[in-house]
Parts: sequence; structure tokens; C-alpha cells
Amino acid sequence: MKVVGARLPRYDGVGHVTGRTTYVDDVRLPGMLHAAALRSPHHNARITHVDTGAAEAMAGVHAVLTHADVPLLVHGHLSGAGIPGDEPLLAKDYVRYRGQPIALVAADTVDIARAACAAIEVDYEELPALFDVRLAFDDDAPVVNDTFGNWYNKYEGDLDVRQIRKGDTEAAFDAADLIVSGVYRTQSQEQVPLETQVCVAVPEPDGRLTIHTCTQAMYFSLGVVCSHLQMPMSEVKMVGGTVGGGFGGKVDTASDPLTALAALKSGRPVKWRWTREEEMLASGNRGPWHMEIIDAVSSDGWILGRKMLTVHDAGAYGRFSVYGLTKHSFHHTGAYSIPNLHFDGYVVFTNRIPTTAMRGYGITGLATAIEVHAERVARELGMDPYEFRLKNANRVNDTSPNRIAYEDPSTVEVLQSLASATGSELSDELRAMSRDERSGDMLPDHLVAQIGSGGH
Amino acid sequence: MALHRGNGLATIEYPTGMNQNGDPSQAWIKVKPDGRVDVFSGTSDIGNGSKTVQSQIVAETIGVPYDWITYDNSNTDSSPMCTGTFASRATFVAGNAVLKAARQVRERILAIAARELEIDPADLEVADGAVSVKGTPAKSMGVDEVAGAATFVHGELLTGDGAHLNPGAAIVDPESGEVDKPPHAAISYAACAATVEVDDETGDVRVLELTQVYDIGRAMNPTLVEGQIEGGAVMGLGFGVLETCYPYYPSVEHRGDGMNTYHVPTMSGLPEINNVLMENPSSGGPYGAKGIGEMANNGQPAAIANAIYDAVGVWISEFPITPERVLAALDAKREGGGEPRREGRVVAFDEELSISAATSAKSWGP
Repeated sequence: MKVVGARLPRYDGVGHVTGRTTYVDDVRLPGMLHAAALRSPHHNARITHVDTGAAEAMAGVHAVLTHADVPLLVHGHLSGAGIPGDEPLLAKDYVRYRGQPIALVAADTVDIARAACAAIEVDYEELPALFDVRLAFDDDAPVVNDTFGNWYNKYEGDLDVRQIRKGDTEAAFDAADLIVSGVYRTQSQEQVPLETQVCVAVPEPDGRLTIHTCTQAMYFSLGVVCSHLQMPMSEVKMVGGTVGGGFGGKVDTASDPLTALAALKSGRPVKWRWTREEEMLASGNRGPWHMEIIDAVSSDGWILGRKMLTVHDAGAYGRFSVYGLTKHSFHHTGAYSIPNLHFDGYVVFTNRIPTTAMRGYGITGLATAIEVHAERVARELGMDPYEFRLKNANRVNDTSPNRIAYEDPSTVEVLQSLASATGSELSDELRAMSRDERSGDMLPDHLVAQIGSGGH
Repeated sequence: MALHRGNGLATIEYPTGMNQNGDPSQAWIKVKPDGRVDVFSGTSDIGNGSKTVQSQIVAETIGVPYDWITYDNSNTDSSPMCTGTFASRATFVAGNAVLKAARQVRERILAIAARELEIDPADLEVADGAVSVKGTPAKSMGVDEVAGAATFVHGELLTGDGAHLNPGAAIVDPESGEVDKPPHAAISYAACAATVEVDDETGDVRVLELTQVYDIGRAMNPTLVEGQIEGGAVMGLGFGVLETCYPYYPSVEHRGDGMNTYHVPTMSGLPEINNVLMENPSSGGPYGAKGIGEMANNGQPAAIANAIYDAVGVWISEFPITPERVLAALDAKREGGGEPRREGRVVAFDEELSISAATSAKSWGP
């Protein structure tokens, strides 16, 4: 091969480093309006009254949008995968997090748009808010999510828990020489793209809409826009493909549908560029995860079984959290083969910003928990951390929590390579290990039943 | 009071493509009359380098120089469907779509060249922008000449289309979690080691060195892979010791609202980062590739936590590992606390953080 594998320069690198790449914010059109959002100041409140009259009457204001302007207010981003929608594009009867958009104003300047937002009268009845996922199941917990309650309850139809059951976990715990439990709590992290959420929507003379988008997923976002606007895909042209940093935070399509509606209502091109403060305080970020792991271990260092409870703090609405939790459940053994599993996972809603995708979605916190736990178990056993990991590493035709045989696991090889690269000594026995299907000492009785075939 | 050094490691795995699959990508290609190649794909380039990688796949597959490729992902009118750039899917899923489209283009180039050269297409090969007879490289014609002949002699358009869907959405059994078919396109593997220095007076943790080994099947462009895994290492460093949206979680107070109040790692004070790339080609990826984008920030946090234990003998299980958390753990240790509950064969860490310690509302899992 000549081209694949070569250290070729980035296709668009010169434009990026010389500032000549055209990003969405570089798009400027004659007559273009600027948008600003009115956002909830409360974490949880009932909206009792909204009056946009004063804002609409302001000079330089061309459109004020509220929930009544949205043809389809709630669109489930994962409705195609059977996960119902729950989040209104603009708040209607309730606000469920501070920063939730209630209205959008398009005006001649950003300053006018912001002043008009301030002139919109909203009356709220404040409600108690829930922030601690550990208290979401209490009888007196505030209700967060109008569609699902305080935790998602539609897995495969009507289950309220994502569960994995594999092997005989009780027998594994009965047989264990050592039982080690730990609780791991990983945090919310902001994607911090240099380019904040931004959109320019242009009503074209032929009736179509052109949307300059910063989305990571143009066709996904085309679907989101067309669903909210109830338009066929032929009526909207998404222009994008060059993104100033996403890291997962630009799948939500945060700014396109509302900017498009403002363009349609005003008949003018509209730009909506979020401030850094909005990016930090109102755009979806990585969600916190609460993870409790209990491992049943033999004195010679095999992980015989695992019980795990995960509670994912999704924030106020579902977005992709159910997807993230299912992915999490599928990988809750990490790079190890653990034959007996009992996993329960919940997506819990709190009155914080809805969380969304971020690099490593569903797994970054999980990998952190699994690997600190592995180190604790190894230390409790008095085993070398490499030896413990290599011994339990997944092998060809071992099966994952969801019974898929591993096709080409490299856990053994990457650990051996890491030991070499860091000057860590491995015994001859550990050096001789490979990914090959288990046999002999590496196929103890407890791992026989989990072996699969026809790996992938 | 002193500085203490420690080492820790972590090993990780990560799926390529959307979990449960069902995420298609499509592409199409046309060739200009001078043989230059236009690729139309709906894949957004979020800095991950997908324009570059997909252009490389097309150049390699057709057999033309890389700089003959123009790549257009600019809009949904001209580019076919791509689910998007997330889930570590662009190289594998969208890469397979352009690979299939490029194979069609190559076949059509060979068919035209066969007519021009009056030879069986099976006896021809394409490389470096020229079609030549296998074993007789002197008998050849440029791809530019082939494209010209297609356009002006044969009245044909050299084009190709491709789509990839791997391998259809998996159905999950709600009781057991068992799936009816693989829920991923591939799985990538990695291991990471950290060396840290902990100040036992301030609780400050300095990450001095990160060494990371990634097996990503095939490094389509090693420079871009290094960009992913070094950028990812910095993001993992931020997750490990610096960044949180809610400094007093679960409280929502004291949120950082800008770059001066939400601290991401900066170029100053970055650890030395050593990379090792392993290549065990996947069975289904273009040229054996697997995904790399997302897993790149998953190994560092635990490696750092484990190195801190190695350095000062305290476990931190809430992230990020702030100086406050390190100091609190060191204080507890000095006072003889901070130990797990040990009872018979049971060793229970962090019980004060558990859900059952917070509420009795529900009988919880483990």
C-alpha cells in the first residue's frame, strides 16, 4: 500500500491553521438577523404566564418564537430506535433545568435580540429541584421528567432497568475467596469546542431553506430539523461538514431547528451564535455516572463473577442517555472475561442540563471505575497489576456480557507491549501469553461455559 | 512534607460504530475527464481527519495519487446519507462506503482501458494513476487518458457508489441483555500507564508521563492517529485531575462559565506522552482499520488514580482527582481511617458513597 498508512498532511489543515477555513460563524449575508434565547432562570418551575407583546413591539425585532411556533414540539432523537421523545424544543408548561430555552428572538442586532428577550414577561411557580440521583427513587422526590418520571422506564417496551444476566452469579459469589466492592462516581465534563453552537438559516427564493450547520452529523440533523419543522428532506439543504470541534457535543443539533424557524417566520437569514457562557452552562455535556461494583474473586486471581449497579445522571431529558447506558451495560466487564454477571442500570433524570454524547460515551467513566477496581482487587490479592490483568484478559472466543464472541481481542498484546515500553518486568509465563483461544491452565472450569464460537 | 512518585496502569476496550449498529453511510464518486476524482460523502470532519482518511482510501483503492482526490462533504444536496461523525464510526463505516464506491470506479476504469488496449480487464492493474498490463508494465495508459476516452470516445461517465451498514440493528433480550447479532462493527484495544508525583502537603497531582499502546487494526494515517491519541490523552488528563462542570456535585452551584473558570489542560505542564501503535487488522474495516477517536480519553483517568495509590497509598474513587480529594484522603489515612471495611472474605470500599447509604427508597442491585 502506498497511500493508506502514509503520513499525509491533513486534507484541510492549511486552511485551519491559517484561519482561512470558512466556519459557520464566517457566513455573513445581506439582511441577516441575529438571534438570542430567553432561558429559564430556574432549575424546576411551572410556567404560569408568558407575554411576548412588548418584545414583539420593539424596533428592530423581526420574529419572536415560542413553543406555539414549533410544528412538532417534541421529537425523539432516538425514536427510530424505539426510544420515545421527551424534550420540547421550547419550554411549554414547565422548565426543568436552568438555561432551558423558552423563547427565541431574531432582531437586527444581537443587542436588540437580547433586550427583547429581557422584555418577554414570564411568570414562574418555582418547584423543588432534584440533583442527587441517589434520592430520585424516594417517594417525596421532586418529579423531573414529564414523560418518564424520575427514571427511564421503556427499555424494550416497558422495563425500567437495563439489565444483564449471564451465568450463575450467586454460585460465583458462594465460591469466592474474596469479595471486593467499590463505589465510583465520575463527573460531568464539558466538550469545550473552540466553536460554540452556531447556525445560519437562510430562506431561499424557491421556498427551500439553507442551513449552515456546525453539526457532527449532517443527515441526522437534517432529520431532526425536518421532523420539528414537519418538512420533507427535499425542502432543506444542510451546508456544513467542517466543524470547529465537536467531541460529541454537536450531535444534539442544538441551534439548527430554532434558527430555521426564525428564518421562516422573519423571512430573513438568521444567525444564532451561542456565547461561551451558553456553551458552558446550557449545552449538553458529559453526564455523571454512579457505579457500584462487587467482584467475586478466587485466591489465585480469577474474577469469578461481577455484580454491578449503575445510575446515570442524565439531566432533565433523555437525549442519548438510554443509548449510552445500554452501551455501558454491554461493556461493563471492560477488557476482561467475567463469566457470571448481574448488572442493573438506570437512567435517572435530575434538574440539570440534559447530558449528551461526549468522546467515550457511556464508557469513559466505566473504564475508570473498572480499572481502579481491578487495581484494588489485585492489591488485595497481593498480585502484580500486570499479572492480574493478563490473567483475566479477554481471549478469542470468550464472550462479552451480551454473548458475542470476541473476534480479535488484543488485551494481552497491548499489556505486554505496555510493559515493554515502560520497562516493567513480566515473567516468562506472562510474556508467553497470547490472545489465542483458551486451553490448559488458561481454561479453568469456571470459564468453560462462557466460550462462544464464530467470533466477532 | 514531600513529593511522592508512583506508577499506575489501565487497560481498555472500545467498540467501533453505533452501539447495536444500524447506522448507515453512503458515498458516491465521479471522475473528471482528466482522471481527477471527486468524492461525495456526508461525513462531517470534526477535526478527526475523516476528509483525509477517506481521500486516502479512495486514492489507494482506485490506484491514483492522493492529490488527484477532491473530497466534498459540504452539503446534503450533493452528498448521500451518512449517519454522522460520532461513535468512532467515520473511518470504519463511512470508510467502507467510499471503499466500495472506489472499487466500482476502478472496475469501470479497467473496463474502458481494456477496450482501449484491446486486452482482458482481468489482465490489467491500476497504480500511481496508470493502467498497465500485469507483467508488461510498458503497455499502459494513464488514468487521465482512460477518463478522457470514457468521456469523449465511449460516451460514458466513470462513477461509483457505495454504502455500508454493519450488520443491521441488534435486538436486545430485556432479561439477559443477550443480543441476536454483534452490536458493534469492531472492538479496539489499548493500555495506558501513568507516572505521577503527589505533593502530600497540597494534594497537588502532577502527571509526569503517559505511555499508551493502541491496537487500532490499521493506522490509516499514523500522524492523524497520533493526533487523536495525544489529544485524547490530554482530554483524559482533564477528566482525571482537572475538569468538572459541577465542582460540588450533586450541587449545581459554582459552575464554571468560561475558559477562566472551567479549567482544561493547557500546553504548559503537559506530561511526556509516549505512543505505541499496534496493527492487528480487523476483518471488516477498510484495510483492516478500527475506530480510534473516542477511546483515546478512557485509559488515563484510572491509570492516574492507580499511580496516586502507588505514590501515597490512598484510593480516590470520585473524579476528578482534585487536591481537596487527595488531601482529605491523606488526612483520613494519617488519622488511621480511609480503610475499607474488612469482614471475613469481604472487603468493602467507599460504602459511604453508595446508594444504600443515601436512601432506603429502593432495594438496589448489588
